[in-house]
Amino acid sequence: MAVVANELPKVRRSPTNTKIKRDTHSKRLARIGWAFSTPALLFVALVTIFPIGFSLALSLSNVSVTGNGFSLQGFTFSNYYELLNSSTWRYAMEFTVFYTIATVLVELILGTAIALILERLTKGRGPMMALLLLPWSMITVISAELWQYIYEGTYGVLQSMFSAVGLGSPVFLGSPTPAVVSMMVADIWKTTPFVAVIVVAGLVMLPSEVFEAAAVDGASSWTTFWRITFPLLRPTIAIAVLFRILQAFGLFDLPFVLTGGGPGTSTTSLALLSYKVMFQNIDYGPGAAVAVSATLLVIVGSLLFLRVFKAQVGKEELQ
Amino acid sequence: MSYRTRTSWHKWINPLNLAVLAVVLFIVLPIYWLVISSFKTPVNVGSFPPQYFPNPVSFANYGSAFSHYGFGKYFVNSLTVTVLSTGLVLVIGSLAGYALARLPMRGKAPLLVTLLVISVFPEIAVVSPLYLLMNQIGWLNTYQALIVPYTAFNLPFAIWIMRNYFLGIPKEMEETSRIDGASAIRTYWSIILPQARPGIFTAGVFVFTACWTEFLMALTLDNSNGFRTIPVGIALFGSPNVVPYGTIFAASVIAVIPVGTLVFVFRKFVVSGLTAGAVKG
Repeated sequence: MAVVANELPKVRRSPTNTKIKRDTHSKRLARIGWAFSTPALLFVALVTIFPIGFSLALSLSNVSVTGNGFSLQGFTFSNYYELLNSSTWRYAMEFTVFYTIATVLVELILGTAIALILERLTKGRGPMMALLLLPWSMITVISAELWQYIYEGTYGVLQSMFSAVGLGSPVFLGSPTPAVVSMMVADIWKTTPFVAVIVVAGLVMLPSEVFEAAAVDGASSWTTFWRITFPLLRPTIAIAVLFRILQAFGLFDLPFVLTGGGPGTSTTSLALLSYKVMFQNIDYGPGAAVAVSATLLVIVGSLLFLRVFKAQVGKEELQ
Repeated sequence: MSYRTRTSWHKWINPLNLAVLAVVLFIVLPIYWLVISSFKTPVNVGSFPPQYFPNPVSFANYGSAFSHYGFGKYFVNSLTVTVLSTGLVLVIGSLAGYALARLPMRGKAPLLVTLLVISVFPEIAVVSPLYLLMNQIGWLNTYQALIVPYTAFNLPFAIWIMRNYFLGIPKEMEETSRIDGASAIRTYWSIILPQARPGIFTAGVFVFTACWTEFLMALTLDNSNGFRTIPVGIALFGSPNVVPYGTIFAASVIAVIPVGTLVFVFRKFVVSGLTAGAVKG
């Protein structure tokens, strides 16, 4: 750098020289840039890209477990064949997709409602935001234990509340459909605030003139929401939804603790199935195939979503 | 006087405040249940009908969390792994974030998109290969078994957040410093970093929270009792037949405090991070 500074007067004298100097200068800066970013890129490549490739290789091999390790013997599609013929895998796939769509939809509606309420608050919005961040920052294992205690079949607080109002003793985690719904409620409690916080932040950034104009025109608050607020908020909502969908596709902690995937396999997500096949049945090949299918789901989900989202944005720009 | 207090009290009953109250109850009631259950006696934790307020108030669960279940060790493990991973992410990630924001490198755009794609990959995709690899090199049940993957998994998002802040710093400041003859590292350290402090806080809070709450990798890679982190420890408390809820909730209250405080104090940064990730990313 000192060299460049010393040569500055000379550089000014000749235009061609300037160009050469600038080129070497920017090359130098580019080298520094690579030096600065190499550690991060190496870390990411080694721990994410390399294992994902390895996972793909496992899923396409005959893996045999030996005494203290494993060995790969030849290329095969049998792991995927096994997967496609397994009703457990098909159920896990359907369950993961259905569960994701249902919970994210509820979270979106509830989260937007909460955001609209908070946006009207003139006082105390800061503490309310902090309160919303509390479930978001909670360890999922803890919230799963908490909800398990709330749903408990013999002494749970919900049992007591339901029987107090004369609704008998309902089953929460003991049979398949109620278990799915109960898990959704626990999930919605924990992640709706995340959606709400993002939407509040989006609402605050909207231009106030548009709303003033709508008020002058005498638009009802219902019309204002659907005609103005919602379209303007769409990019914000889209990102919140995308984050949530991708997270929910990897659903693991909640069913692992709350239901163990049961009763039966009724709450077994793809990630939980993959974990069980791999670490409880010690079946690496099929387990890797399940993991690859979960990854594909995430990729397809995000591509689809981005396409729909882009199409919508494009349409608006045309109008 | 009594008339005046009554009107001011009535003034608070309106649809907006009732809605706010409903939101508060929705969030707070389960947390209330967690906290008060941790103060019930071990017997009263399972009483029916349940106690809506602990009577008598007991600290027995807190005692047993530490004495019988080794919660102190889990707390130290979590803190070690989380602090070291967060530190590493901030050091390595801020350098990369600065380079990707400011330095004239070729192929920046594809790199950034790749990072974004990687940041949404599900953990389950890498956990089994990581397990097998770490088994081979003897890393299972060590601190680095979690620190290395936590660092890698949190780098992409942290780089994106910090890059957005670096982009907002006026370019002139760097150029002046360069003309004054400062080296790139020096410019970065004494000119850029102080300016980007909010971005670094934001990334730090996110990475800390993510590491503190992570479960799947901690469960598979550090499962021996000496290296369990809080989520794994709590999930495996007790036996399949007996779930010691009181102890679990006592441990949970202690586990929620560090991140809860961090998020409360830095809530502005968290909100700005959520929207920076959301709006610009």
